[in-house]
Amino acid sequence: MELKVYSDRLSQPSRTILIFCKANGIEFEEVKIDLGKGQHLSAEYAALNPMKQVPAIVHGDFKLFESHAILIYLASAFPGVAHHWYPADIRERAKVHAVLDWHHTNLRRGSIGFIFNNTVCLAFGIPVNPVAAAKGEKLLSASLARIESFWLQEDGPFLLGNAKPTIADLALVCEIMQLEAGDKDDRDRILSPHKRVVKWMEDVKIASAPHFEEVHAIMGPVRDKLKQLKIQAIEKSE
Amino acid sequence: MTLTVFADRMSQPSRAIIIFCKVNGIDFEEVRIDLSKRQHLSPQFQEINPMKKVPAIVDGRFKLFESHAILIYLACSFPGIADHWYPADLFLRAKIHSVLDWHHSNLRSGAAGYVLNSTLGPALGLPLNPEAAAKSEKLLSASLGKIESFWLKGRGRFLLGSTQPSIADLSLVCEIMQLELVDEKDRERILGPHKRVMKWVADTKNATSPHFDQVHSVLLKVKEKLQSKKAIGETSQNVLPSKL
Repeated sequence: MELKVYSDRLSQPSRTILIFCKANGIEFEEVKIDLGKGQHLSAEYAALNPMKQVPAIVHGDFKLFESHAILIYLASAFPGVAHHWYPADIRERAKVHAVLDWHHTNLRRGSIGFIFNNTVCLAFGIPVNPVAAAKGEKLLSASLARIESFWLQEDGPFLLGNAKPTIADLALVCEIMQLEAGDKDDRDRILSPHKRVVKWMEDVKIASAPHFEEVHAIMGPVRDKLKQLKIQAIEKSE
Repeated sequence: MTLTVFADRMSQPSRAIIIFCKVNGIDFEEVRIDLSKRQHLSPQFQEINPMKKVPAIVDGRFKLFESHAILIYLACSFPGIADHWYPADLFLRAKIHSVLDWHHSNLRSGAAGYVLNSTLGPALGLPLNPEAAAKSEKLLSASLGKIESFWLKGRGRFLLGSTQPSIADLSLVCEIMQLELVDEKDRERILGPHKRVMKWVADTKNATSPHFDQVHSVLLKVKEKLQSKKAIGETSQNVLPSKL
């Protein structure tokens, strides 16, 4: 059965799915849905995902969207996936669900709020919104603090004190990597108070090497392009 | 009995957990965390849930929060729960995860934002915010539209075309029930165009009766208080509770 992953590497949850598949030897076709060109808004794509967002998958004729649902499905459907990604134990699994749910309205909301309104919006022709970005940064910082004080525990290097990463580690770290799209000074300001988060990100990168870096290779060029757009926008307003 | 559910029936996800337990004959102790009295901020409750939110459960020594995670855990841990609540089939299960995830940033975000900014705000010492309410109403209406056009497609009466309810039906319908708190005319304006949604709410209510109505009775009481306060022209400081 053929697996197609509809994605844009600019999208954090898209990268999570791509890295997960590559790290687990899952064969798939990556179909780029270029967000900057509005391809997610096409009628053809809406037939695959009526919410017009990436990522989405088609496996045989089974269609699915929402990255956490996709990660769980892939972890369960492909026998080669190591068990640590999505534990079989009901209680361990429940904890993974809890952090993935928490993520929606905390880390993800804060991260998007900051980086989209501060920088990424320019890729869509939308002006920077400093007020919204500041609000996002507040939630983002609070979420990073929460990861340090609660989700990362003594027993192990990964979320929930695990010795090996779960799908939750991958999802949350890919989110934080979106800061690479913006200004280095902003990224340093936000991340540097959180040494444990920085170490955890390294550990996730190592655990999914070389795919993590390969999938994130896009971030450098994206940052440069967005920097240009920002300079142009400032020049225009002066 | 090892299961304790920490809840406030004014909280939509709290109600979903309580109804699920009652419908499935799960033995549990309901411990009220009164949001209006700020009990969710106490050090004792913080031991249970450091995020200081309801619902949360303790099963033996196992603590868990986030209602979707709790619903899944209960469906898998307790014997005799019918498969339709959280099917073993990978494809059906994936679709349930999909709608539960979609819910966070769509129906829940729109509905909770609308109710807070149009009605509940003053009860929490917040001003009414018509602009925020209008923005949330837009998301809420779009979400109801998506439920009708996509999530309720199929031959069955429930989400994902199912002939029986799942945890997703319970979670989303409890969210929509929060609209019982707002003015009749506003609720009619928002829900009225969505006949299929209204039927689905009724079907979910019937499938979980009598517990659904019993657990939701708190909303009617609070609504009466809110309306009588409004009639007298006071802002309801102590009527209503929750940061919902």
